[in-house]
Amino acid sequence: MEERKVKLELKDMAKKYDNGDGVEHINLKVYEGEIVTFLGPSGCGKSTILRTIGGFMDVTDGDILVDGQSIVNLPPEKRPTAMVFQSYNLWPHMTIYENLAFGLKLRKVPKKEIDAEIKKMLELVSMSGFEKKYPGQLSGGQQQRIAIARSLLLKPSLLLLDEPFSALDAKIRQQMREELKKIQSDLGITVIFVTHDQEEAMALSHRIVVMNKGKFDQVGTPGEIYDSPATLHVASFIGEMNFIRNGGSTIAVRPEDIVVNKGHGPMEAVVRTIMMLGHYVVLTVQRGNEIIKCYVDRELSDQLREGDLVNLTIGKHTVFSRAA
Amino acid sequence: MKNKTKGLLAAYGMVLPAFLVVMLTVAYPIVSAVIQSFQDEDTGAFTTANYTYFFTETAQRNNLLYTLFVVIVTVVIAIVLAYLLALYLRFVKSGISRAIGMLYLLPRFVPTMCAVYAMITIIRDSGLINRIGLLFGLDIKLGLMYHASGIIVMNMWFNIPFATMMIAAGLGAIPDSIIEASRDSGAGRWKTFTSMILPLSMKDVVVASTFVFMSNVGSFTTPYLMGGNSPKMLGIALYDQFNKYLSYNRSAALSVIMFLICSVSAAVYIYTNLKEKDWEK
Repeated sequence: MEERKVKLELKDMAKKYDNGDGVEHINLKVYEGEIVTFLGPSGCGKSTILRTIGGFMDVTDGDILVDGQSIVNLPPEKRPTAMVFQSYNLWPHMTIYENLAFGLKLRKVPKKEIDAEIKKMLELVSMSGFEKKYPGQLSGGQQQRIAIARSLLLKPSLLLLDEPFSALDAKIRQQMREELKKIQSDLGITVIFVTHDQEEAMALSHRIVVMNKGKFDQVGTPGEIYDSPATLHVASFIGEMNFIRNGGSTIAVRPEDIVVNKGHGPMEAVVRTIMMLGHYVVLTVQRGNEIIKCYVDRELSDQLREGDLVNLTIGKHTVFSRAA
Repeated sequence: MKNKTKGLLAAYGMVLPAFLVVMLTVAYPIVSAVIQSFQDEDTGAFTTANYTYFFTETAQRNNLLYTLFVVIVTVVIAIVLAYLLALYLRFVKSGISRAIGMLYLLPRFVPTMCAVYAMITIIRDSGLINRIGLLFGLDIKLGLMYHASGIIVMNMWFNIPFATMMIAAGLGAIPDSIIEASRDSGAGRWKTFTSMILPLSMKDVVVASTFVFMSNVGSFTTPYLMGGNSPKMLGIALYDQFNKYLSYNRSAALSVIMFLICSVSAAVYIYTNLKEKDWEK
């Protein structure tokens, strides 16, 4: 495999708050053209890392390199990064045109060029014709599209997105994800994305960094993280997972990796509920004290009633020692 | 239908007491003062002499100009200092800024008389500053007493905390992400201030200015205790007309003049509040 260019490198970076919270020993390489997502519950430090990259927080230790150049001593306006925030992104007293032109004017781009670039960018985010509107006149989804356009116009080396879609409703959020992914692949830009929504992380990312309590739990492709979670936290945070106790260890198995058969067998359980969710059925079965969730097809579920005895066969799974 | 009438009666019944109080204590005196201001002192006939007196008599005209000078200088200095203080409180996160944030309103709780006398004992030519200077062999005479500059200094005591409170509320409403997005786009601190913070807080600055302006046009205690004999501020001039010269028609005319000066500022205030900028729609 050819050597890929490293766009961003975090070297033993640390950011400690006065109360002792924060992140430390953060090491990561992000390659050019990649979407890397920091995923974790709130307070895990994912936004802290993003804000130190953007220059809105000083690091307490370590280094941040973009294209091999250290940027830790630069103020935000001198960094080759552009950030999109969760909300209140756009400047409310400026029109969409003025919002988009602000950074370009500072860079002394000629007016004609600014107009042309804004026109092109508005097309890219499907917001043509909104130049004269004010942010307050747009919906949340439209505002975030403009915010992304504003960041892209500055041709950043690195685009930073801090939960940009979390204030939007579910349908728009999905649409925005697809658009972002398309824009990213069209422009080949490197993106760092922060979210607490595992579905969003899975859908968008080339690689995911799962974080917990200021540390990296696992770094990997969505497939790797889904199929072989490194820790119990990752296993429980990403997707649906059953945790079955087995002596001194815990078996983590996904609902779709359990084969259910009617009748007796070595791992018997009793059907508790049957929920139709469209093309598949969610079955919960009780085995001892444990409730196990399985996905089965319609053909099987039609034959089952609550209280029926079934046998489970565990397919692909991960074993964690109980202490973990 | 009957219920509706009852409801209406109840509604008017509840508004009526407040309405009558306003009519009797505010509207009636205003109307009668306006009428009186156009009446001749002896004959009661219609005249504009009461007004022309204040604009043509040199001493009176000087009082008017002097008042406007003191008030406008007070507004400008108080608002600039208050804005700087509010910026500091909003953007500097430190123990000192938190302490100032808690204490800056304190001067407003000191009764006016006490504060003015306290200030006089410090700044007068034989005051605290002079005595400290004498210890070092310096005879510092500030010359602030009975002079416009003394009144202006004293006005700062009351108006900076008040203006800071209003402007700080406005600055507090500007989300950090607006400022961060500006820095992120390549704007330095100064550019971010002029393009984001200043326009977004301009409305609060205008509103604070109008309040400081109005409260100082009719001020009495400070100019009474610290002002000179001539020119005088309008509050004192009014006091003279009413209590010394017992000239009620001229007092009425001067009251109307002061009211009109204030109403310019009130108009600015109402205009700023009512006029929604395009982006606020």
